[in-house]
Amino acid sequence: MNDKVFVQKSMIQIEDLSVSFGSTDAVKNVSLEIAKGEILGMVGESGSGKSVTALTLMGLTAESAKITSGRVCFDGVTLAEAGKPRDRALYREYQGSRMSMVFQEPMTSLNPTQKVGSQVEEMLKLHTTLDRNERRDRVAESFAAVGLKDPKLLLDQYPHQLSGGMRQRVMIAMAVILHPDLIVADEPTTALDVTIQNQIISLLREINRRENNAMLFITHDLNLARRLCHRIAVMKDGRVVECAGTEEIFGAPKEEYTRSLIRAVPSRVNAVPGGRKEAQSRGAVYGADGAGADGRQPVLEVHDLHVYYPESAKGFPGRKQRKCVVSGADFVLYPGEVLGLVGESGCGKSSLSKAILGMNREIKGTVKHHSTRPQMVFQDPYSSLNPSKTVGWLLMEPLRAAGALDKNLLMSGQEMEERAREMLARVGLDERYMSRRPSQLSGGQRQRVSIGQALITRPGLVIADEPVSALDVTLQAQILDLMRRLQREMQAAYLFISHDINVVYCMSDRIMVMKDGKIIEQGETEEVFANPKEEYTKALLKESYTG
Amino acid sequence: MRYLVKKLFTLIMTLFVVSVAAFLAFQIIPGDVVDSILGTEATPEREEQLREELGLNDPPTVRYVNWMTDVLHGDLGKSYRYSKSMNEMMPVAELIGDKLPVTLWLSFLSILIIVVISIPLGVFWAKSRSHVLDAVMSVLTQFSMAVPSFFLGILVTYFFGMVLRWFIPGSYVSYEKDFAGFIGYLIFPAISVAIPKIAMTARFLRNSMLTEMSADYVLTARSKGCTERRVMYGHVLRNALMPVVTFLGMIIAEIVAGSIVVEQVFALPGVGRLLISSISTRDFPVVEILVLYITSVVIVVYVLVDLLYRLIDPRISHK
Amino acid sequence: MTGMKKERKPHIPRVLRDPYLLAGAFMTLTALLAVLVGLFWTPYSTTAMDAAERFHAPSWRHLFGTDNFGRDIFSRVMKGAGTTIFISSLVVLFSASLGIVTGAVTGYFGGVVDEIVMRFIDAVNGFPSILLALVMISILNSGRHNLILALGIVFTPSFARIVRSEFIRFRDADYISRARLMGVGKLRILFVHILPNVFSTFWVSVMIGFNNGILAESGMSFLGIGVKPPDASLGNMLSDAQGYLMKAPWYALFTGLSIVWIVLGFSLLSEGIRRNAGEVSDER
Repeated sequence: MNDKVFVQKSMIQIEDLSVSFGSTDAVKNVSLEIAKGEILGMVGESGSGKSVTALTLMGLTAESAKITSGRVCFDGVTLAEAGKPRDRALYREYQGSRMSMVFQEPMTSLNPTQKVGSQVEEMLKLHTTLDRNERRDRVAESFAAVGLKDPKLLLDQYPHQLSGGMRQRVMIAMAVILHPDLIVADEPTTALDVTIQNQIISLLREINRRENNAMLFITHDLNLARRLCHRIAVMKDGRVVECAGTEEIFGAPKEEYTRSLIRAVPSRVNAVPGGRKEAQSRGAVYGADGAGADGRQPVLEVHDLHVYYPESAKGFPGRKQRKCVVSGADFVLYPGEVLGLVGESGCGKSSLSKAILGMNREIKGTVKHHSTRPQMVFQDPYSSLNPSKTVGWLLMEPLRAAGALDKNLLMSGQEMEERAREMLARVGLDERYMSRRPSQLSGGQRQRVSIGQALITRPGLVIADEPVSALDVTLQAQILDLMRRLQREMQAAYLFISHDINVVYCMSDRIMVMKDGKIIEQGETEEVFANPKEEYTKALLKESYTG
Repeated sequence: MRYLVKKLFTLIMTLFVVSVAAFLAFQIIPGDVVDSILGTEATPEREEQLREELGLNDPPTVRYVNWMTDVLHGDLGKSYRYSKSMNEMMPVAELIGDKLPVTLWLSFLSILIIVVISIPLGVFWAKSRSHVLDAVMSVLTQFSMAVPSFFLGILVTYFFGMVLRWFIPGSYVSYEKDFAGFIGYLIFPAISVAIPKIAMTARFLRNSMLTEMSADYVLTARSKGCTERRVMYGHVLRNALMPVVTFLGMIIAEIVAGSIVVEQVFALPGVGRLLISSISTRDFPVVEILVLYITSVVIVVYVLVDLLYRLIDPRISHK
Repeated sequence: MTGMKKERKPHIPRVLRDPYLLAGAFMTLTALLAVLVGLFWTPYSTTAMDAAERFHAPSWRHLFGTDNFGRDIFSRVMKGAGTTIFISSLVVLFSASLGIVTGAVTGYFGGVVDEIVMRFIDAVNGFPSILLALVMISILNSGRHNLILALGIVFTPSFARIVRSEFIRFRDADYISRARLMGVGKLRILFVHILPNVFSTFWVSVMIGFNNGILAESGMSFLGIGVKPPDASLGNMLSDAQGYLMKAPWYALFTGLSIVWIVLGFSLLSEGIRRNAGEVSDER
């Protein structure tokens, strides 16, 4: 390697790397280079091998991982090679001091029982000869450098005392304190809110400029990669399918998979939502604020709704403290309409939806339903289907329940089974799935069954709470498509909740923006996107703008 | 601080409930106590006199208050069975007095043995990747949990006492006479109480360590360039030990229960034996006090463990 | 059909090769066999005493030797194990059914009743269980039925607690929220939607409970407050045997090992079932 001369010297060379766990290959013939001062984005869905590649580079893979071909070179030195056992001592000379890593979950990546100061200090303890006071000063400096306030005070705090964003800054401070030549960031913003996400991205960009180091940024989110990275490598099933400059990837993607990834990103530019035209015509009828001009009965009316969350209800009964999580929500929803609700996590979206469905009794104000039994689709496809039942049983249960409540809706077993089969076909699964159990389905398939279960009784209103957030990007597009199609076919009204303003854009006729428990803006989707009134909405739109 | 007050409050409440339960339980017993004390000497006058003497004519609430007041003042009542001299009944306090230390020492020694052996064993077990050790340990664990403590006591008596002759069964010496000899004898019953719990604790620690070893912060520590040793002892062990503290607190009740049974096997003059004999002879004042006493010890230990846990786990103490 | 057979073939031997399952099944089956036969026939009379036959060491004539009254220990173990297993089964049946109802209702509905019941259960759980059983026995008097009642009551809280925590876990599961939205009735949610999910955890605690029952029964009888002579129970036999440890060590050894055999066999069996249950249900 050393006898070759590079024009621009690469910091990292990964050559023909394959890594396998037992008989399964997680990474197949991957070749990548990262130059000094360069940020390489590695984009792929979960299980595409991007994390394994990064962990192999860092020398952190589990014992069971074997390099079956190729090698990893760092600044001209071969760190790992096929056929050789991992040289831990060699790696330790590089880990921390010359290459460091930032992980996805800032909560679990920090040792919960050690002060954050000493955790960062350990870096200096391991790799420098500074004494205790010097080390503490250095740590405080590095805290300040990543934008943490009161660095001296922070030294003696424990991870749980910090917010998610602060913890991730601590992780970054730890990663840069020794000015390494390479920083690997594995989905560093996935667990964070949108606004914090942006701050962390800016911080990483700033660090890259200041330190002029190489950076490997791993993400499932093409948008994020686009905003930060110089070059992007797209991974699928353990292979790099395409690797090129960011502009090139977005401007002229060569591979079909890359194109499908770009298409799958719910972006306002390439979205051609079928609901759009209808929405416009309806908008004319309802008026911009959603007031029913034609006197049609709404399916849902919410007036001045406050939702409370009981705090410390335990221990001292009688002295109940309540925290207001939703204040003064006011809106209506008409039959066959999709109303989008967007906001960051913790803004009260879910509390609002639960209150509407009567799952939270601590409320003030009025909620009026004009449809029978509204249904709900949840975020987590793994917990929204009863694991002890078959898909067929699950699809028939709503019909059984309806029959038990209302004699007119009583059906024979055969009728119910027919309805279930029909629903199964509508959500895109064939008959064989009737006898399967949820554990035998993939996340996407589960969400399909969930949607089918919610719609089989033809409810007038369905509340969908982040129905695609737990899914991979390509699946997201499919499920959104399905939901849109079924909504039109079955004439249901949706209250569609998401933190992702692009997803909401694709789905909704009208849109509400929620912040700190208040609905701060609502109106026609196009209208809100074209002329946002509130600063917060503008910020949300700017952050998510994809082209 | 607020936590401490709250904890103290629940502690007192629990003790109150236990004392009421212990008191009430012995009020609903069939049969008349007076008859059974006097036996054949019973005459209506003597019965009435004894009834008055024992305060059995008062309503239950008054009797409970009297009993509790006496207990709080250190007067634990008098035994129905044991007598001090011809005309004087034995005070329960005197009866229990010299038996308490035996049981307490036995329980303490058992816990000590459990901790000293199971923690290094658990760490070693978690660190070794040997399948042979895994298999051997799981069989041993299963086995040791299947052996009841009294049978274990008999086995220990037989092998250490009769075959190896490391101690002479029945040669118990009082702690007042010869403390070293007392502890030397107590070690063997303590082993019998400890063995099943050693296996359980070691397995618990091992599982806890394996869980912690796959935690994200271990990867962080490795990415800093920590040696495996440093990862293990600087990061993993402390986190893994926390649930073990709770676990040990939880098995305290079982250790005390084990002590009661094992005292019987080794003929130790502890409260366990007294309890058993008092139950067989229906000596209720003694049973009441013993139940109250053993429960108090267990509950106080629970609270102490809880406090200890709060001290060592910053996630709770710094909230 | 042939396709299905092909899929199944490699599956059966794997379960049968599990050492836990094999050893556990063997030990449990032999124990049960001995007990069942013991109900109708034993090699020797379990009560007839014979001074000439006292303290025979184990031999082909007396597999486990004879005791201080010249009774065949093996015959008495057959009877005694029967008593122990019978009592333990009834204790588990009693406490598990009471525990399921209490746990389901308190866990799902919560509220004041739950608070009171839980306080009570916590207090009881803090007690050394044998102490509680001892107290109950001293109130109820000793004897077989009272022993079952006492142990049954003592064991109930732990079952209730497990079932309760499972019901609390599932009460807020998304699919239960959805069942409520569909308008499924409360009883149906409790017993059709939640209960099947609780069973796997509950089954494990029933098996542990059975073993604890055996240990508790023999412990109580050992202390002389459970099953009383002349009725044989492994516990009171061991208590007798302790007196002759020097003269007839086999008496204590074989009686004690019989307890270990039953408990170990059953815990190996349940561990084996637990380890294989996951695989079986995944392959279904």
